[in-house]
Parts: sequence; C-alpha cells; structure tokens
Amino acid sequence: MRYNEKELQALSRQPAEMAAELGMRGPKKGSVVKRRLVKLVVNFLFYFRTDEAEGGAPGVPGPRGGGPAGSALTALSPQPVGALLLERCRVAQEEPSGFSISFLEDPERKYHFECCSEGQCREWVDALRGASYEFMRRSLVFYRSEIQKMTGKDPLEQFGISEEARFQLSGLKA
Amino acid sequence: MKLHRKSVLSFFHGCRPQAPDREGILLKKRARNTSYQRRWFVLRGNLLFYLKHRGDHTPLGLILLENCQVEPHLKATEPYAFTILTPGVEGRSGRAYKLAAENQEALGAWLRALGMVSCRRLAVLLPALEAQYLELCQAAGHEPTSSPECCGYLATPSTPSTFQELHERFGKEIRVLQVEHRGLQTASDNGGSRFQAKLEQERNQFVDE
Repeated sequence: MRYNEKELQALSRQPAEMAAELGMRGPKKGSVVKRRLVKLVVNFLFYFRTDEAEGGAPGVPGPRGGGPAGSALTALSPQPVGALLLERCRVAQEEPSGFSISFLEDPERKYHFECCSEGQCREWVDALRGASYEFMRRSLVFYRSEIQKMTGKDPLEQFGISEEARFQLSGLKA
Repeated sequence: MKLHRKSVLSFFHGCRPQAPDREGILLKKRARNTSYQRRWFVLRGNLLFYLKHRGDHTPLGLILLENCQVEPHLKATEPYAFTILTPGVEGRSGRAYKLAAENQEALGAWLRALGMVSCRRLAVLLPALEAQYLELCQAAGHEPTSSPECCGYLATPSTPSTFQELHERFGKEIRVLQVEHRGLQTASDNGGSRFQAKLEQERNQFVDE
C-alpha cells in the first residue's frame, strides 16, 4: 500500500496535542523498552529517537531547546522512527503507570508505553481515546442529535454542514 | 519512517460495515505520466484510500488529507478535474494529486466532502457543540451523558433486529447503567474528576468488546 512519506513527515511536524518522552515497547515477543519521544498529532501517534539532535523531535522542547542553536538544529530535525494510526484501537491502562494500544482487529498485539506517573498516564489515555476521527465524529453526531431533540434546531446548520453524510445519525450504527 | 500498516488496514477493513464518508470512481493522473487511470476511491475521516478495483482487499495507496487544499483544476485535459495539494515539509509544497470526477455532480460532491475532512476542524467544532449541549442539560435539569459511545446504541433508528441482537444491545446498555450507578455511589468518596475518569474507562471497556 503506497503512501507519501513526506505527507506523513509533514504531519509529524504539526503542533501536537500531546508530546513527551515515554518508554515504548513494540508488540513482538521479546521486544525491549526503548525511550522514545512520543507525539500525538490529530489521529496519528508518532515516535522519534531521543538521542538525535539537541532539539529532539520537532515541536517538542528539548533539554537545551529555546536558544538559537536549539532552533537551528530543530530545522534539521529527524524523521519519526514510526507512526501509528489511532483508529479502531483500544487504549488500556496497564499497572502501575503505563498504557497499551491495541487494534480491534488484532487485540493480542499490544504496543506498550511507560509513563513517569499515574497522572501523566491518565492524561495520555484520555487524549488517545479522544484522538480518533471516529470518536470525534460519533461525539459530534451525538451532540447534534441531543441538541436537536432539546431545541428542535440543528446546530450544524449554521456551519452549512448539516447535509454532510459523515454527520448523519445513521452513522452511529456500530 | 515506519507507518504501521496494520493500524491503517485495520481502519480500512474494520469500518467496512459502515458506509464510508464518500466512495466512487475517480480518474487519477499518474505521477510522471500524462495518462489518467480509473481507480476506486474511499474516503474515511482524513484518509483517502484508492483501490485498483472496488472490493479489492488491499488499497493500492493512501493520501493523508489533514491540512490539504482541494481545488478545481480548470486547465486540465480532463473535464471535472481537481487537485488535492498535500502539505509539504519546511514550508515547501507537498504533492499535488491530479484527479478527475466522472461528471459535474460527482465533482461537486467530492469537492465538498474533501473540504470537510480535517480532524482539526472537527476538534474546533466539537467543544462548541459540547458546551451547548451541557448548557442545555443544565437549563433543563437533565443529567448529561458523558459518553456518546453508549448513546450510539440508544440513538440507533429502530430497525428489525433479531432477539440476539436486541439481547446484546440492551445487555450492554444495562451494564453501562450499572457501572454508572456504582460510580454514583462511590462518587462522594472519590471526588469529581477521578470518578469521571473511572466511568470513561469502564464505558470504553464495554464499548470495545
């Protein structure tokens, strides 16, 4: 399946909803935990190496970031190591302060992440669960339907998008 | 960079029972060639998949639509042509996909659908709607339901269902309500936000089953 690498790279450089250095372990048996700069951009999760460039991943403050040297290096900053699309996935908290991501079609394959605290972990779990397009769309359809029931008016009309197929009530069917 | 294909294919296949946001034949110009090829396009969220034939198991390719620009292409050799310009790196422009619809109506529909895709746009719209919903609930004295996932079952238009389906659906709803009930009882002990987080967690568990 072809895709344009630059498109993905460009997306990885967009402002992130969440970004932090976390421990990450892949789904394969015997994989080890690696420190990665993990960045959530819309419904994609990017992860970067932590040792490259002073500025680290673009859009993430590095240990010495901020000064002119830092920003010059950020301009040359590396590509992510990888990217995961966060749709139809399940995010579960894993004791004590980690979480895992698995995909509904293959629930045994889990990507594990380690946070530095339960608080940070919960922030990530909430953010990841709300990141998918499908979740946002369902939320939108739900609020639209409820508001219409309560006011008799369609709140999407003012935006001119009430006819869009993606926002219809029938879209809520699992 | 490794794009975990399984996560993408899981999305492509997993959503199958649901109608995509838009799908249909579009002509796609090859990168280094002047010829257009007929492809089956499937739009889901901010991803545009294209297949050699409708019903193919694996897409030929994928176009990331977040922050893209879509414009009719008036000087193309094909009628009903349009361009999708994807963002590039470091301010340079990205790739320009040259596509063409089969007729004026399809062109209009695709332009509208593709113009609406951005996750970011939804992310701006959503808090406004949520705020309106919460305000209305407060004014009416209703308890707002925090998870649209669970109400997806309740809001489904009535269609003839087998007993099994109904049994499963109501079973899930009852479990969610039981969790809520338990949650309400412990809420006074735990305090607001932790209760909310726990509730969300439990709900999501049921929904993902």
